[in-house]
Amino acid sequence: MSQPHTENIYLPKVAVLDRVVEEIADVKTFYWHFEDPAEQAAFRKFQPGQFAQVSVFGAGEFPASLPPSPTEEEFFFTVRRVGSVTAALHQLRPGDTFGVRGPYGNGFPMKQYFGQNLLFVAGGIGLIPLRSCLNYALDNRHRYGKIQLFYGARGLKDLMYLGALREWEMSRGFECYLTVDRADDQWTGHVGVVGSLFRKPGVTVPVENTTAFVCGPPIMFRFVIRDLKEMGFEDRNIMSTLERYMKCGVGKCGHCCIGLAYVCVDGPVFTYEQIKRLGEVI
Amino acid sequence: MRARITDKGNLLTLVDLLREEYEVIAPFYGRGRDTCFDTVTDANRHLVQVHIPNPYYPPKRYVLPHIQRLLRIHLNDHPRIEPSEDTPRRAIFGIRSCDTAGIDHLDRFYLGRDFKDAYYERYRQNLFLVNVVCTDPDLDIDDDCFCMCADTGPAARDHFDLQLMDLGNELLVVAGTEKGEALFAHPMFRKGTPAHLARRRQILADVRKRFKLATSWYSSTVRYITGGQIGDATWEQIGNRCLECGGCSYMCPTCTCFTVTERPAGPAGFERVRLWDACALGGFTRMAGGFNPRKAAHDRRNRRFFRKLAHYFIQRELSVACVGCGRCVEVCHGDIGMPNVVEILRRATAESERHEPAAH
Repeated sequence: MSQPHTENIYLPKVAVLDRVVEEIADVKTFYWHFEDPAEQAAFRKFQPGQFAQVSVFGAGEFPASLPPSPTEEEFFFTVRRVGSVTAALHQLRPGDTFGVRGPYGNGFPMKQYFGQNLLFVAGGIGLIPLRSCLNYALDNRHRYGKIQLFYGARGLKDLMYLGALREWEMSRGFECYLTVDRADDQWTGHVGVVGSLFRKPGVTVPVENTTAFVCGPPIMFRFVIRDLKEMGFEDRNIMSTLERYMKCGVGKCGHCCIGLAYVCVDGPVFTYEQIKRLGEVI
Repeated sequence: MRARITDKGNLLTLVDLLREEYEVIAPFYGRGRDTCFDTVTDANRHLVQVHIPNPYYPPKRYVLPHIQRLLRIHLNDHPRIEPSEDTPRRAIFGIRSCDTAGIDHLDRFYLGRDFKDAYYERYRQNLFLVNVVCTDPDLDIDDDCFCMCADTGPAARDHFDLQLMDLGNELLVVAGTEKGEALFAHPMFRKGTPAHLARRRQILADVRKRFKLATSWYSSTVRYITGGQIGDATWEQIGNRCLECGGCSYMCPTCTCFTVTERPAGPAGFERVRLWDACALGGFTRMAGGFNPRKAAHDRRNRRFFRKLAHYFIQRELSVACVGCGRCVEVCHGDIGMPNVVEILRRATAESERHEPAAH
């Protein structure tokens, strides 16, 4: 039997950490580049919503969503310290090396939304996977209608990418509504769950010709879906991105299966219509 | 397919012929009834036999080792990643028809989709399969075998290089591939007669009567599961009997799930290995931070049987992830091997249909 060369899908490529930015408590953004320029160029083809497998040598590998838009110059991951491998990543310093393979999964079909309004609803670090999509839309501003972001977190200290959001709101024409569950002295804005922003005076959410993107903790997800349905959103116009325990990222290890779907190859981006039909509660 | 006849006394000649080119693996008796696959050596070659109970531990490990190094990471001054490229040349002598179908299922899963698994491919391309048709009612077949329902046996139709069938004093040898047929050049093989084929038909007809689980409600269960007709109460009933040992997956010739971990290797390096994993285990879906979407045992049992019986997955691989080997029946302390689960699901569905006649 002939032995054609099959690419090794489990082989990480060496990446170099450029700088680290602290976002909120336990969450850092890691700017990096591939050591091999050819890999760097190849990776640039990723789509908003895709993810990559990040290796910290000696600690292991984990899936991480890609928060940069492909229109941005730099690659970065924003990662919360939550387990042993992410803790090891948080120990790395600029100049250190780690491994990346990907991009994997299906991204958001951004071209399909041309001419539509985009409604982003995020909770906590759920903004990380939506950031790519949001920034891609803003970089192609003329192709989309109204762009709105409804973003909530526990407190002011838990809001992500705050600087970038404020700057984009000023310069690039999108509506950004923020809320916190618990206000402190410095917070002068809205207080309440994300869904309460929809009913805030002065806020109008277009339902016709609009795609909604929802990402956040499971409880927030359920309530936001209920709110969107009440507003008249159809299941197929609500998008989300799911996360699961994952070892391979390429549909082999079996950990990320939800009902009929392998989150890694069939997702991580799903419409709510698809999520309901997976055959297993998410 | 071409077939030849050889005397049963030539069995070891065939084994030795294979040993010239391959590391030959065959089932051997261990203690008592236990059997296991092992390498044939000069010291044990006389113990190789055609009829022997199929080992619990499936031959899956010759294409998907239970622990397999994927890569070495050397961290001396600059990180260097060295993928493992070992390519053992092996022949499995005496693989049963169910396990042959199991390897075919693994082929479809690991090599048939968008991403091909290079590690699996290297092991598989160098593997030669000598299938033995189960014809001995005492040694080859036991009460838990249900290859007849899974449509994989007792005689495999495909996916082997050579197939041996015991005709009494002679062996009928069928070639499934060109590699297998090439061996027919050896003088020990001679052409068969129509009488041999008639004998083969007769033996198969007789041996089929030996199967206790000749029919199960396999196909209707596929329909029930695919149609979402199985209630939570039924899954809970099944889940309550699960001891969460993972034995069913480790024994299963078609289970594919693995986990990946890293361990120190040498003074300045690590190796990344993959290990068999089992969806029965509580940590299978637990994410960093502790959230576990499939916390209850019955959710995980639901998962195992849904993955094996939902029509979507059967279509996705064009093969059912159950080959009827009966190992899960033997290994499960809670008695929820495949045939029993099929029966529980069938009974529960029949019951609910009786109570709700207009439910469609």
